[in-house]
Amino acid sequence: PLSVSPAADPAVISPQDPTLLIGSSLVATCTVSPDFPLKAEDLYWTLNGRRLPAASYAALGPSTLSVALARLNGSRQQSGDNLVCHSRDGGILAGSCLYVGLPPEKPVNITCWSKNMKDLTCKWAPGTEGETFLHTNYTLKYKRRWYGQDNTCQEYHTAGTYSCHIPKDLALFTPYEIWVEASNRLGVAVSDVVMLDILDVVTTDPPSDVHVSRVGDLEDQLSVRWSSPPALKDFLFQAKYQIQYRVEDSSEWKVGGHRRCRGTARGGRGPRRSHLLPLQVVDDVGNQTSCRLAGLRPGTVYFVQVRCNPFSIYGSKKAGIWSDWSNPTAASTPRSERVAGGCDPKGGEQNTTLRRELKQFFGWVKKHAYGCSNLGIKLYDQWRVWLQKSHKTRNQVGKEP
Amino acid sequence: SPTGDSWGIFTFLCAALCNLPALPALNCSEELGAGQSIQQTYDLTRYLEHQLRTLAGTYLNYLGPPFNEPDFNPPRLARAERVPSATVDLDLWRGLTDNARLAANYRAYSRLLCYLRVLDGQVGMAELRHRLAHFCASLQGLVLSIGGVMSSLGYPLPTGPAGTPAPPGAATAPNDFLKKMDDFWLLKELQTWLWRSAKDFNRLKKKVPPAVVTLRLEARGF
Repeated sequence: PLSVSPAADPAVISPQDPTLLIGSSLVATCTVSPDFPLKAEDLYWTLNGRRLPAASYAALGPSTLSVALARLNGSRQQSGDNLVCHSRDGGILAGSCLYVGLPPEKPVNITCWSKNMKDLTCKWAPGTEGETFLHTNYTLKYKRRWYGQDNTCQEYHTAGTYSCHIPKDLALFTPYEIWVEASNRLGVAVSDVVMLDILDVVTTDPPSDVHVSRVGDLEDQLSVRWSSPPALKDFLFQAKYQIQYRVEDSSEWKVGGHRRCRGTARGGRGPRRSHLLPLQVVDDVGNQTSCRLAGLRPGTVYFVQVRCNPFSIYGSKKAGIWSDWSNPTAASTPRSERVAGGCDPKGGEQNTTLRRELKQFFGWVKKHAYGCSNLGIKLYDQWRVWLQKSHKTRNQVGKEP
Repeated sequence: SPTGDSWGIFTFLCAALCNLPALPALNCSEELGAGQSIQQTYDLTRYLEHQLRTLAGTYLNYLGPPFNEPDFNPPRLARAERVPSATVDLDLWRGLTDNARLAANYRAYSRLLCYLRVLDGQVGMAELRHRLAHFCASLQGLVLSIGGVMSSLGYPLPTGPAGTPAPPGAATAPNDFLKKMDDFWLLKELQTWLWRSAKDFNRLKKKVPPAVVTLRLEARGF
């Protein structure tokens, strides 16, 4: 059954919905409407659901009770702390939302980028290490330097909470001033102005169609091929690429590349393709759309990614911004059939193909030949042991000329 | 996400319906439409009930204690009566005709949707706004679905300013705390409406002849 109250509000709280700085104190009063038969001693206060101590109350009149709040903390929720005046039975008579916090600090670290010179996305950081405890609004503004009016960015949260996207009407070869305004109930803060030309911050999509394949039977190499991002065709700029790769069960990426992936190798090795060492430090593979990775482990699965950086845009010397890495592509290096270890005799080798064949041969000899009963696989093993011992002795004595 | 899967099922249901073959032995094609329409509406009501549980929890936490306390039961001030109340005499409710009951549902959800949209515009938190927007879209779907049921049963849609209540500005809460109370009651009423609508549609489903079963029997009869 609903309890429908009369038309008038049962009580009035003052101040109603105040905004306060952290650490400030407040005295609030609750005055019961004359229509209600309640007196000051019938009332009590709660803040965010918790009863406030009677020691902080004071009766200011027959139907007015005050409460003193000292050194307020930041608001528990952004919708405001709930300060409520109750009647003795717990019923709610009136409430007031307290907004306790700090004014905003200057937003910082504004970084912007343009996708294919068509738009501009900027992100920033709030500037307060802790919280303001109040809802803070951020507005990104921009204008052409020296003239023009302020424009306001409309599409927020496109690249995270503190970001905005400007989709059109941006001029090239023009310096822009960009800044962020933060405002909340307690004040406003404006970031430093960032100046940039769209052409300074161009990035593009990652390369598409990345293919990784084996190079014939070569165990330590993989060939990487990709397509340049389609946007490159439209503009007067070049692209340079970077490759990174890792083995399947490692989380550590290695970055590789060589200035001229297909050109002659350095050091005058002749017209062979230049190879890449897996531990080479960050470098670019030039503007070729293929590259070979070398010095890899045989029989291993590798994950490869490529990214792209537009540069020499309209002939400028500046580099752009690296794109995201392409989705990883995997391929494996071939594993050779040879047994590792080569021709050196090893004492412990019991399972070589040669030994197996010898065993079969001796078995046959026993059946079909007479007088060779001393021949057997055990003799062969003894011979191997003798061979290993004599090798060691030889090495200890010194190298034979 | 689970909500995504529910919508997937719902969309599939709609697609399957569109591809039902038209058999010559089929009569009362309108009833077939009504039956499936009611089932859809029932499913949507249950889906919204589920969504509201999460949304209400998040929103009440945003309002802060005591609003998010389980036993919170504030007085219902007269001004808050503008939100369509779901609690009426149950016998009275059951005594209504199907048409009247459907119309009451249609009007109530249209108004509730409007109030929710206003709420959405005022909330500061991006995550909450996102959830509210999603819920409003689903609720819009429910209003349309109820309209579809009414049409398929041959009832006229409620006319007049049912879809648009008095402009929210006229009756906005005079202070932030009272506004929080209004928000609380809006969510509470929405909860009760959805709970009762589910029962209504379940009952209505049983009244309409089971056309799907009829379809199968007649197919076998060929």
